[in-house]
Amino acid sequence: MSDIFTGLPNDLRELVRRAAIDHADHGITIFDGRGRRSERRSYSELVELATTAAARFDALGVGPGEPVMVALPTSWEWLEAWLGLLFCGALPVASSGATGLAAAETQLGKVDQVMGAIGARHVVTSEGFRDQAVAGDFTRAADGVITPDELRSATPTLGFNPPTVSADEVAFLQLTSGSTGLPRAVMITHRGAVHNPAASTEGLSGQMHAPVQDWADCMVSWLPLYHDMGLIGCLLLPFLVGYELRLLRPQTFLARPMLWLRELGSNGRTFSPAPNFGYQLCVERFKPQQLEGVDLSNFKIANTGAEMVRPETADAFVEAFSPYGFTPEAFLPCYGLAEATLAVTFDQEGKGVRTLPAPEGTDAGFAMTEVVSVGRPIRDTRLKIVAPDGRELGGDAVGEVCINGPGIFAGYYRDEEAPAESLIGDWYHTGDLGFLHDDELYLTGRIKDVLIVRGHNLMPDEIERLADGVTGGGGLRRSAAFSVARGAAGEEPVLVVEADPGELDRLDQTAREIKIQVGRALGLPLADVVFVRRGRIPRTTSGKMQRSEVRKRYVDGTLEVIGGQKLEGENVRKQGG
Amino acid sequence: MNRSEIAISVISKIAGISPQSITLEMELVADLDMDSAKALELLVELEDRFDVEIDDESAAKLNTVGDVLATIDSIEIPTT
Repeated sequence: MSDIFTGLPNDLRELVRRAAIDHADHGITIFDGRGRRSERRSYSELVELATTAAARFDALGVGPGEPVMVALPTSWEWLEAWLGLLFCGALPVASSGATGLAAAETQLGKVDQVMGAIGARHVVTSEGFRDQAVAGDFTRAADGVITPDELRSATPTLGFNPPTVSADEVAFLQLTSGSTGLPRAVMITHRGAVHNPAASTEGLSGQMHAPVQDWADCMVSWLPLYHDMGLIGCLLLPFLVGYELRLLRPQTFLARPMLWLRELGSNGRTFSPAPNFGYQLCVERFKPQQLEGVDLSNFKIANTGAEMVRPETADAFVEAFSPYGFTPEAFLPCYGLAEATLAVTFDQEGKGVRTLPAPEGTDAGFAMTEVVSVGRPIRDTRLKIVAPDGRELGGDAVGEVCINGPGIFAGYYRDEEAPAESLIGDWYHTGDLGFLHDDELYLTGRIKDVLIVRGHNLMPDEIERLADGVTGGGGLRRSAAFSVARGAAGEEPVLVVEADPGELDRLDQTAREIKIQVGRALGLPLADVVFVRRGRIPRTTSGKMQRSEVRKRYVDGTLEVIGGQKLEGENVRKQGG
Repeated sequence: MNRSEIAISVISKIAGISPQSITLEMELVADLDMDSAKALELLVELEDRFDVEIDDESAAKLNTVGDVLATIDSIEIPTT
């Protein structure tokens, strides 16, 4: 291992414990659901909490190496459960629980299914979740619930001694969207979990050209802790660096984005990562009266990643918030994914968002005239760009982004076949498209069928299944979901549905019914539902649907649409204004 | 304005459409185009206006404009 590991532990638990010793006066503040009240605890209090929780999990019969789900909102209960499981040698698996709006049933079903797929007996979650699971007949989830109160009332095993681990053992599982809509559990090793934040602190050198701990004191995050950027970037990295950490729930940010900026402007020199849409939301919901006295010159590192970085968003953000002291150089684009633990590249120039004209081969569906540098790989990590036939491409040529390094995942838990598609030799084939220019990575599109809408990753099947439920399709008759971007707001979901000639007079009703089903189950407004004749969604000779081809035809206008086009709010939106 | 009128005015502001064109049957997501950010903005705005807290379980059941009005009607609002 390289010298960045000198002095660093091989055990993630040790990294957490050291925070209590090395940064005894620092700690974590967690806000409640509405962002009104908060509670702070020091790192040493947190380690004590986790140590006791580990002995309690042991008393409850949770064994070493056993996957246990955590479906709680960002809270002290979440930290107690996740770290308690880690400390007891089990494998914590963070999942979104009920997110507080619509789609509760969908989330519940997913937790239940994941428990089945990975063989988890328990889920740490709320009493309310148990009630809903019982009512919804999700027996696996219902039977496996441990509530935070039940955990706290368990008598800890006396003298509990957790098992020792080696660097190559799995530390926790990270859920990521799988090809069929059911999440896959990415195995993250202790080595990856320690290396990635360590290499990130170095990669995040930014405009000061110094490691991140030298020029910011406090991290503010609203990212969900069940997401890799929230967990690794906004929890494990602060443990390592010893940041003062302030955590908001994602829902709190979505309801009141200015709260995030207030926090960033009033806690010393601050640092925060967010996907592009987070910055966009601040621009859309800009409320000057909520920013009085806020000094955003303190916001030193505005990390942007986890979805396409859009230059027009960065420009709009600078325009709106430079009167409050925000500097364009604070923007620091990055690229990462769960299969790489998290970080792969960081911009290391410290000059804000830098672009090149979009080259030929840039995905037209992303509506980008310029593409953004997401920087150079972090230490020990390598990149290559490959053609569809596997041949390595030279600089400036667009191809699939492949990565190699200590953060690469150890496979999907209980799913041995899946990695074969993407792990070829030591290289992980990401499904993202891009090119290298002066050793810096620029992303231009993606091959994989995932939709990334306002920070949420969705697989097309999740939408298509709901649509097929309405139309009775799914067999010979298909529907295809994908996303396109029309501007700074980023990707929007579009659905193409096959219909028979006899149905032409009912298409508007069918479209609305589909929109209602998708809205209720996924909380997601479809930007467009269009119909094509049966058989017009292209398939391969083996019958596999070619979503990328449908999407291409939709974008370039060659899709033969027979109805339903642009029904997006046409009865509703235009009247009010 | 009564409670329903206040709620409709909040929905109208967030969805960006006139209060007159809002009907009880309208779906928050499918018809009013509310993504999760807008839906949460709506929730918090309603909580502020009426000085109440709408718990997550109730919030998860809000599908239509009518659902929102019924929830607001059923909540005991503190008198000041």
